[in-house]
Amino acid sequence: MRKRGSVRFTLLEGAAPFMGFLASAIALILIVILLGEDPGNALVAIWKFTFLTSAKLAQVLSVSIPFYLSGLAVAIAFKAGVFNIGVEGQYFVGGFTAALVGIYLRVPPAIHIPLIVLAAMLGGALWASVPAILKVRRGIHEVITTILFNNIAIALVTYFVNNPFSGLQKGQSLEPQTRKILSTAVFAKLNGLFRAIGWNVPDYVYLDYSLIVAVVFGLLVWFLLSRTRYGFEIRAVGTSMDVSRYAGVKVNRVQIGAFLASGALAGLIGLQEIFAIRGFYTYSLASGVGFDGVAISLIGRNSPIGVIFSAGLFGFLRQAGYGLQLFTRVPNSVTYAIQGLMILFIVVINEVMVRVVRGLRKKEVA
Amino acid sequence: MDFSFVTFFLVKGLEISSPIAFAALGGVFSERGGVVNIALEGIMTVTALTLVWGAITFHSVWMGLLVAVITGMLMGLIHALVTVTFKVDHVVSGVAINIFAVGLSRFLSQSWFGQETQSAINSRLFPDLLGINSLAFWLIPITAVAWFTINRTVFGLRLRSVGENPEAADTLGVNVYFMRYAGVIISGALCGIGSATLFADKWISGMVAGRGFIALAAVIFGRWNPIGAVLASLLFGYADTVRIVFESRIPIPVQFIQMFPYVLALVVLAGLAGRARAPSADGRAFEKGEG
Repeated sequence: MRKRGSVRFTLLEGAAPFMGFLASAIALILIVILLGEDPGNALVAIWKFTFLTSAKLAQVLSVSIPFYLSGLAVAIAFKAGVFNIGVEGQYFVGGFTAALVGIYLRVPPAIHIPLIVLAAMLGGALWASVPAILKVRRGIHEVITTILFNNIAIALVTYFVNNPFSGLQKGQSLEPQTRKILSTAVFAKLNGLFRAIGWNVPDYVYLDYSLIVAVVFGLLVWFLLSRTRYGFEIRAVGTSMDVSRYAGVKVNRVQIGAFLASGALAGLIGLQEIFAIRGFYTYSLASGVGFDGVAISLIGRNSPIGVIFSAGLFGFLRQAGYGLQLFTRVPNSVTYAIQGLMILFIVVINEVMVRVVRGLRKKEVA
Repeated sequence: MDFSFVTFFLVKGLEISSPIAFAALGGVFSERGGVVNIALEGIMTVTALTLVWGAITFHSVWMGLLVAVITGMLMGLIHALVTVTFKVDHVVSGVAINIFAVGLSRFLSQSWFGQETQSAINSRLFPDLLGINSLAFWLIPITAVAWFTINRTVFGLRLRSVGENPEAADTLGVNVYFMRYAGVIISGALCGIGSATLFADKWISGMVAGRGFIALAAVIFGRWNPIGAVLASLLFGYADTVRIVFESRIPIPVQFIQMFPYVLALVVLAGLAGRARAPSADGRAFEKGEG
């Protein structure tokens, strides 16, 4: 199968994300200059907040965890040709069902934590199920239905947090939230463990059980996609539905499965914030992470391994934004604009590369 | 329920429907030309801000409208460049533009008004008519013009032809790229007008609140037809008006009333399945000299 030059072509095609990153870095520097700030200063500020100390590096890893799970969720759907923009809503609902288990179920930690993870996945999958069925059975594009479901999810959890499951006493003027989760449900920090192996992770950084969740599910998805029959079917359906159907793959069933798996993974995104950082559920969890997942998945080429890098990149950008905000006059919002630009650069460069490679191949054949 | 209340409800409903309806008209232009435009949301987010900036800077809300329309067209141009020239997947480009728009609008708001999440107050408003933003009434003539343009002009015929069968259109000498660019840029301009009907006295981050996405549902529900899309938008808009008017009067938790337009959109889409047909080449790239 491998032809001469194919390694070079693969390299060229694979270079798109890096070139996109470079292009957006240049855009960032231009903006910094336009704002009348010294780009050197800005770079130092970014460096100080991301890579300077092992503590900052740990912080980048910590904020990358939800990004990774979000990217992974979008990626598995993408692989099967499903465009799940509903990760945001699935994350809100999955987090809520997990919180209920964390608040009301009295069991020892060894049982509680796995049950919470399970509940998060069930909630997320449940929220993905209706768009999945509507797509497969009635042919309604999932982009529309999942967006509608996002809005419904936010209204629903807002209702739950305000009314039946409110944890606020009368007269308390805090933000609406549930009761506190039980002590057995807390996602403990692994910082001590990291310190034991020589990585000085300070106490304010959250490297908790959700890191284990991210690693385990990353491995599972990687194994599923690259080492199992079902994973092969997912990739086949994502590449060509018609060919898969011809080959006897049950396209509908594969797409529903990937959609539900995507929702289940989306449910995990909120675990860190609910069970490690806040200790209760509220509807003002970090919003937009579900949409970031689309970008993260694309930049990581929809692969469980690629997503590690792109999620890290988003974590890096998030921290870089804080650094810029703190040490320069460059507002944090710049990094959000840069994220959007970066996706555009990457997809455009990717298309250009594909064309260049196609042209080179033709030339080689001729 | 007296007469004045009914008038109030009808007029208020028109005002609430118009941002969705203008965006939906934009969606029709874009999709009839074969470009799926889920960037409507992001385009409105940015134009809603540039409108306020234009109105304050040039001391005229009409200049604000002009600025909004121009920025809408520029955002449309980006989407067209990425999807038509570079042939990136239309949904991917739309998602990227939506993310970009959130950051861009916050960044611009920060640079212009010193705050990331809201602009300064702009006291120059569009004139009132029957107690609402008079721009909402533009919806009626603009819908008529859109219908006429798409169904009764050479431009409209060409636009539809590149959305249905770009290869055939190309053979007949229609400039497919140009027509597709035109469709997307018009949709950006309409988003600009749409955001002007949304506008009160300042820009707030997140004020578009999913209207661009509802507009997309309206395009499908209206079967890619300008009048159908506007009627569908009115349905969603009036559903939302019911929510606003009756929120405080009926004993249902407010959040369930908030869900109403979305659930309605879902039910409508589910009931419609199989009967709605998109332009054949909607979302498909066209490469001159291939195929």
